[in-house]
Amino acid sequence: MKQPWAWVIWLAAVLVMLTITRNPLYLMIILLCVVLVWLALRAKGASLAQSFSWWKFAGWIILLATGFNMLTSHFGETVLFIIPGKIPLISGNITVEAMVYGATNGLILTGMLASFTVLNLALPMRDLISLIPRAFFPIAVVTSIAVSYLPTTLRQFRQIREAQEVRGHHMRTLGDWLPLLMPLLVGGLEHAMQLAEAMTARGFASTRTASSKRSIYPRVLMLAGVTLMIAGWLMQLGLAGGEGWILIVSGFMLTLIGLWWLGKGSQRTVYHRRVWSWQDGLVIAGTLAAVIAMFAPMPGVGKEIFYYDPYPVIQMPGFSLRIGLAILALIVPGVLKLFTRQANHSS
Amino acid sequence: MKSRLFSLVIYLTASISGILVLLYPFFLPTISVQTGFGTYRAGELPAMMTLLLGLCLLVLLIEAQGPVMNTKLIALLGVLVAINSALRFFETAIPGPGGFTPIFFLIILVGYVYGGRVGFLMGALTLLVSALVTGGVGPWLPGQMFTAGWVGMSAPILRPAIKTLRIRGDQKSTSLVNPEILILAIFGMLWGFLYGAIMNLWQWPFIVGPQGQSWVAGSSLGVTIQHYLAFYLVTSLVWDAIAALGNVLLLLAFGAPALRALRRFQRRFAFSYSNDGAPGTIQHGEGSSG
Repeated sequence: MKQPWAWVIWLAAVLVMLTITRNPLYLMIILLCVVLVWLALRAKGASLAQSFSWWKFAGWIILLATGFNMLTSHFGETVLFIIPGKIPLISGNITVEAMVYGATNGLILTGMLASFTVLNLALPMRDLISLIPRAFFPIAVVTSIAVSYLPTTLRQFRQIREAQEVRGHHMRTLGDWLPLLMPLLVGGLEHAMQLAEAMTARGFASTRTASSKRSIYPRVLMLAGVTLMIAGWLMQLGLAGGEGWILIVSGFMLTLIGLWWLGKGSQRTVYHRRVWSWQDGLVIAGTLAAVIAMFAPMPGVGKEIFYYDPYPVIQMPGFSLRIGLAILALIVPGVLKLFTRQANHSS
Repeated sequence: MKSRLFSLVIYLTASISGILVLLYPFFLPTISVQTGFGTYRAGELPAMMTLLLGLCLLVLLIEAQGPVMNTKLIALLGVLVAINSALRFFETAIPGPGGFTPIFFLIILVGYVYGGRVGFLMGALTLLVSALVTGGVGPWLPGQMFTAGWVGMSAPILRPAIKTLRIRGDQKSTSLVNPEILILAIFGMLWGFLYGAIMNLWQWPFIVGPQGQSWVAGSSLGVTIQHYLAFYLVTSLVWDAIAALGNVLLLLAFGAPALRALRRFQRRFAFSYSNDGAPGTIQHGEGSSG
């Protein structure tokens, strides 16, 4: 896969699917696909700088969501046991329905965390930065500088620590960090000064488009867009009807136009343009197939199959094999990663 | 003046919108009794919250990046964000106790010295860069960037209070405690708790879902707050207390020398700011063309 946008589309599809269903069976299939893609990426050598075990973290999330819901939500008719007394929130029936409901919440959250972890594994940092819209080019430059300067900062920290150790400095109390942190901060600020002079000497931000006064209209559009979206969302909550969606879609369009307007004034030089490959096409086709299966009307399958609610009495969630098989198409990026040769990590 | 006023309107509207979006679990139960808001739309709520919060953040970033065209400010922010991300990198590699994190120390000081806009960018970009470096990009990121940005953006509001105390302190000149650092430490402590409470608002609807203990249709605001407090006490109080204590200790131990260094470079970078404490008060000695 060569296009970062193919991964972004896959991620967006997973998030949408996790969002529209509460059926634990479908949730587990989605989670299974995400985990398999993740394992495929890891099998190909991708790794993250994380100090904690993701599996334990996911386990804790599901346990926390389940336990908390069981203890504080006393709805449902299948009572496991009763906590006696008058402890606020806690006392009352502990039900199977509350347990299943909590576990479903945990599954959704775990699925979201896992899908973002896959994105972090799949895309190198430079690809993630390249996804920053053109309207935010000053922020993209700051981010690029920070990312580039980070290894230097870590190296400087090691050098300062070694130099202080040679002088007999020991780390015993919090105050002992001062001789390490201050040289790091002052050294960094000195570096910023040199960097700014080098950027100015090379003509950074000296073009007319970059330095021209900011137009007020795209900013108004963006603000109006966000305000409309929030108003639409509140309407949607308040009226439980479809009227709010008109405002939400209009607001979203206004925000996009504002972003495009702001971005068209800034120039971006691309040295290595990402092309679309057949693998990217296959990933998008698979992703779309999975999403369409959930949204498109299917003979004999009602949409209520996605809206599983264990209350008031637990029952087996509905399941359509066709939809289940279609969701499995989310696995395509993992299969491609395993069975196609790639020149390097990202291309 | 007109542009500044407009800028202030954008900051306020986007910030209030963000707060409104974060607080929706508190007013949803009242709405749901009138509408019969069902479980079937459960998942769309937190997802929509993340999307809307992300968009509010975009509006704020667009506004805050306005003066960043200056090369000195770009370089300064880039390097400071790198230093702060390195601190977070250490924290990820060697986790501290509870919610202890060293990143707010510099965000507060940079916001306090260089102004609300730079503080906002420092907070938001620190979280962005450290997420890129540590593989922490996720649905929580807009909320984290938004809140950390607020930490930096709100720091200049301390200036008038500190100025008043400093004048009184100069008149008496007997106090051994630096009132500036003391106020910054209290500010850091408050944000230690607030940051945790705000970020909890992001994950709370995901963890507890739209029905059950948080959104019982028709339950009063008081009951919903009671549920949230229970959730906060169980999951976050100790964690956030350690974060708040960490902020206090770091600001007390390193605040004074770090402030001196930042102010020295502020003069070298030819920054100047007016003393009204409002966001967007930073000015540059150098032309915008850099």
